[in-house]
Amino acid sequence: MEILRNIWRRKLRSVLTISGITIGVLALTTMGALSENFNALLNGGVTYFGSNVQVGPPDGQSASLLAISKIDEIKQVQGVAAAFPGYNFSAKPGQVTVVSFGIPDEIVAGDPQENNWAALKTTTAQGHQLDANSTGEVVLGSTIDKEFNKKIGDTIDLPVRPPDAKPDFVNHTFTVVGILNPTRTAPDTFAYITIADGQMLLKDSLPLAIRNQIDVSQITESIQVYGKPGSSISDLDAIADRINAQVDGVKATRPSVLVNSFRSGGAIFTAITTAAALLALIIGGLSVVNTMFMAVAERIREIGLKKAVGATTLDVMREFLIEATLIGVIGGLIGYGIGAAITIIANATTPPGQSTLFLLDLPLTVFAIGFATLLGAVAGIMPAWRAARLDPVTALRNE
Amino acid sequence: MADVRLEDLSKHYKRGSEIIRALDGVTLDIGKGEFVAVVGRSGSGKTTMLDLIGLLLRPTAGRLLIDDVDTGKLNDRDRAHMRALKVGFVFQEYNLLPTLNVLENVMLPLRYAKKGSDGRAHALELLERVDLTDRIKHRPSELSGGQQQRVAIARSMINKPSLILLDEPTGAVDTETAEQLVMLLKRLNKEDQVTIIVVTHDLDVASQTSRNIRLKDGKVLADEPAGAVPAA
Repeated sequence: MEILRNIWRRKLRSVLTISGITIGVLALTTMGALSENFNALLNGGVTYFGSNVQVGPPDGQSASLLAISKIDEIKQVQGVAAAFPGYNFSAKPGQVTVVSFGIPDEIVAGDPQENNWAALKTTTAQGHQLDANSTGEVVLGSTIDKEFNKKIGDTIDLPVRPPDAKPDFVNHTFTVVGILNPTRTAPDTFAYITIADGQMLLKDSLPLAIRNQIDVSQITESIQVYGKPGSSISDLDAIADRINAQVDGVKATRPSVLVNSFRSGGAIFTAITTAAALLALIIGGLSVVNTMFMAVAERIREIGLKKAVGATTLDVMREFLIEATLIGVIGGLIGYGIGAAITIIANATTPPGQSTLFLLDLPLTVFAIGFATLLGAVAGIMPAWRAARLDPVTALRNE
Repeated sequence: MADVRLEDLSKHYKRGSEIIRALDGVTLDIGKGEFVAVVGRSGSGKTTMLDLIGLLLRPTAGRLLIDDVDTGKLNDRDRAHMRALKVGFVFQEYNLLPTLNVLENVMLPLRYAKKGSDGRAHALELLERVDLTDRIKHRPSELSGGQQQRVAIARSMINKPSLILLDEPTGAVDTETAEQLVMLLKRLNKEDQVTIIVVTHDLDVASQTSRNIRLKDGKVLADEPAGAVPAA
């Protein structure tokens, strides 16, 4: 109680000091939540691409097309336990891509069985997963479902017709049979269809001149290869190397390359945002140092009195440290509270279909408030040490 | 009650190349329950002696024994503990904490004595004895000088010390209030058998104690029963 009263003795100075910490923690909370959200997105990529080998056309081939027979060749490679064809299409062709923290809407065609092998599994919030033999059905990710406001049984035309579509633009009507739980990463903006429907969209996407000359049932855009359950990234790297050595006309990418790429992207973003926020917070911390030095200078006689009535050096030091720490805690809680409110409001007002910008999780909460507390305590060390070392006789007679 | 013994006690300071002998080889024995006044001109060494007895200063030479404990052998922590348990301080400027109310100021030393009891009842009893029960929630700034000094006296008694040291306790109050404070001290000395050493310029205060020690240039000039010390 005495410590709170001491903080409140110089109201304006305390408010300004606490404001310094508040602004720092506010920056740390919002920037951190932005970074956490981005990292969650990237972690999805790490999880997905770290569990399989992506096989595409060899370097130099312009079209992303592979003979589906390559799947059987790949399955012969040592260590390969499963391989699935894959097709990807823009769900909103012609849309201008702007800088975004989300992944654009995509139509993903594949074998529903692949979900059993993938490390990043999707689960349905409503309806059911696709039946491999069905056609004209779609399972929507949570974000794309909100964007188009679809319920189970509703229909959706995919790809979405652009406003300036040419007369020969083709799309198809799909019935929504499942809506996925949010993953905070790629599947949220995906519309999943079966291989047969994917091949139909592939055909639609081919130039008219060759559209009817190609049997799309023998073509895939990519192949996802899985090792036996529990395979490590190095095991999968070895599989990628063997595929490249043994199967002609394909290029297998080592999963470690993709995973490292995701991780380095996340690390840079986290470093930039966190460093900016920490800088603001450290400036706030310096104001705590200044405030505490002034508090010591103003209360020299009090310190002398406390020593005279039995306070040890440690007692005095502890009292000033607690005071500085409390400034950090108060600033931290206010800053976190404002930051949390901003992120919650911003996420709540994100238009349907757009990825939310912030992810405020427990580790960030603990870090933001914990760092402010620690900063207050560290900022208080030098002033507290000076107070504790004061000679009581000199302090008692200080004018 | 405390038995205080000063054996050839000295405190010297260096000021440039000059040595200031604030206290110079003083030998004294102050018995349990005595009410002693230390008088002398400014710079005579009164306050230095009080600070040494209160363990706020370490002597340059000599020994200080409190209840037969050689305080020179105590480390800083033990000296602080002895201050908390055995010594009560009263200063001319009261030195009450402005953020604490009267009751909290009186209870402050309990925090450092670490005796484990909250002592609130004792604090209230002391405030009753100094006639301040109606002011327990007041802040120091809301009290007169005399009232603040009575709070400081109650604070000095909270840990039931055997020795109370007062540095010019009447220096900042009027004559009538000074008389009331001296009466209060005499009562505490008699009722609690606590040893009281008061440093004062005020010979009226000195005359009401049982023993007067007169210092000059850091040495004991006279050590006589009260009333025998001539005016400075």
